[in-house]
Amino acid sequence: MMRTHRSSPSQDPELLEVHGVSKAFGEQVVLDDVSIDLRRGDIALLVGANGSGKSTLLRCVAGLTAFEGTVRVLGADPRSADGRGLIGYLPQLVALPQSVTVGEVISFFARLRGVSVGRPDQLAAAVPLPDGFLPALERPIGALSGGMRRRVALAVAILGSPPLVLLDEPAASLDEEHSASLWETLQALRAAGGTALIAMPLMVTSLLRHDLASVADRAVLLEAGRVVHDGPVESLRPSPAMGRRLSMAGGSR
Amino acid sequence: MNPSAVFAVAGWELRLAVRGRLVMGTAVTFTVVCVLATLLGLRSVSDLGLAGVGPGTGALINLAILFPPLMGMMLGANSLSSARERSLLPLMLVQPLSRLDHVCGVVLGLVGAVWLTIGFGFGASAILLAHVAGTADVSGLLAIVGSALGVGLVSVAVGVAISALAGSRLQALGLSMGLWFLFAFAIDLILAGLAAAVHLGPVGLFVGVLLNPLEAGRILMVLASGADALTLGPFGSYLNNTLGTTAAALAVCASMAAWTVLSLLVAWAGITRREP
Repeated sequence: MMRTHRSSPSQDPELLEVHGVSKAFGEQVVLDDVSIDLRRGDIALLVGANGSGKSTLLRCVAGLTAFEGTVRVLGADPRSADGRGLIGYLPQLVALPQSVTVGEVISFFARLRGVSVGRPDQLAAAVPLPDGFLPALERPIGALSGGMRRRVALAVAILGSPPLVLLDEPAASLDEEHSASLWETLQALRAAGGTALIAMPLMVTSLLRHDLASVADRAVLLEAGRVVHDGPVESLRPSPAMGRRLSMAGGSR
Repeated sequence: MNPSAVFAVAGWELRLAVRGRLVMGTAVTFTVVCVLATLLGLRSVSDLGLAGVGPGTGALINLAILFPPLMGMMLGANSLSSARERSLLPLMLVQPLSRLDHVCGVVLGLVGAVWLTIGFGFGASAILLAHVAGTADVSGLLAIVGSALGVGLVSVAVGVAISALAGSRLQALGLSMGLWFLFAFAIDLILAGLAAAVHLGPVGLFVGVLLNPLEAGRILMVLASGADALTLGPFGSYLNNTLGTTAAALAVCASMAAWTVLSLLVAWAGITRREP
């Protein structure tokens, strides 16, 4: 369900401020003066073609890479001691160690985040995901399918409900049922005041299949490292000229 | 520093390490060769009508400066580079812990794995020696074990530093094996050749010892265990004769500590400057 009301800035300060972020690898400019602000409870899609800079922008916001410009999460630099721990991050590809169990992974990251999981049955409760989303805690990672491993990594990202969640193509490898669970989780996250920036590929099939208009408030379209559109999700529509890809339908920034 | 985060990472790394083939394989091999070295030492001394660890000490020292450092450097080299290639490092570094916490936790956990291996190997030797060894023999063995633990710490720290700087996991593993070979075999031969050809002099010899943490560890083991001074080698003999036993032991301890601290700093700088 779309959220239509927003309180005034003084009552609802920006949770994420990205101002003038630029990043280049040698001669190749990957991000060019990108600015995005998110408020508490915003769920924003970061949409773009391969190589448009989505993952790099998420890494900048997560404080994992150097860049020009400013990123603040609740006023703190994510690379600083104050900023660390405010972000949950799901990389595009992550290979969890195969020799540990699901429970050991959750328990380890819960300990790092200071989430209390004294008993094994508290592990699943520490992860704000619907029942059945997380594979059985005693199963080794090495025995899980790709989709199941993705679900564990996703659980790590939202463990302890951090104020800002960065998800890089979270639905990759997920089946229809668990994709639906993911979007339900994001809705619950938003209802609890959580904020998410979600990188998605520029494919209409994946976007429409998940009915993201009911989950996300905004869509930010990146092209060649520049924000070319920032508006409601509904403003992204299939373009006949682009086949199954999306284009902007009004409401540019 | 966040001790809780450091210990959490250490526990995680230790768990991963002990479930890996490298640690299991090295621990079994090291234990078997330690037992064999001890049995051969006992057999040779019993032929002479003597008892104790003494004559077997040389073999145990050589094992201690070959196996645990190789394992430690390879584990260390695999740590950050592997995590980076698997995108696990970014997942770790967005957690509420500093990069220094992470490096310290990784080193601590891997050192635990190396120390467990040393414990298995020398533990088996100690059991075999228990019924024939005297107090002096036990203290000698403990001195070797203590020194080996120090060598294990240095080697893991050096490996993690390599891991932080290397471009890939394979590169890190190759560099660590090359460095281990240099420390364990080549550098002594090079320095011995140089000493004869260009007359390194006392300072050159002293620096030569301190530049090689494995040689420093070996000299410490010999000095601390009271083993035959002939096994000190030319550099150890020079140190022992020039500084005396206590000062020589302190000098090599300082060398190992410096290698550990410098390696940790390099690893910290590497993980801070490089993109995970």
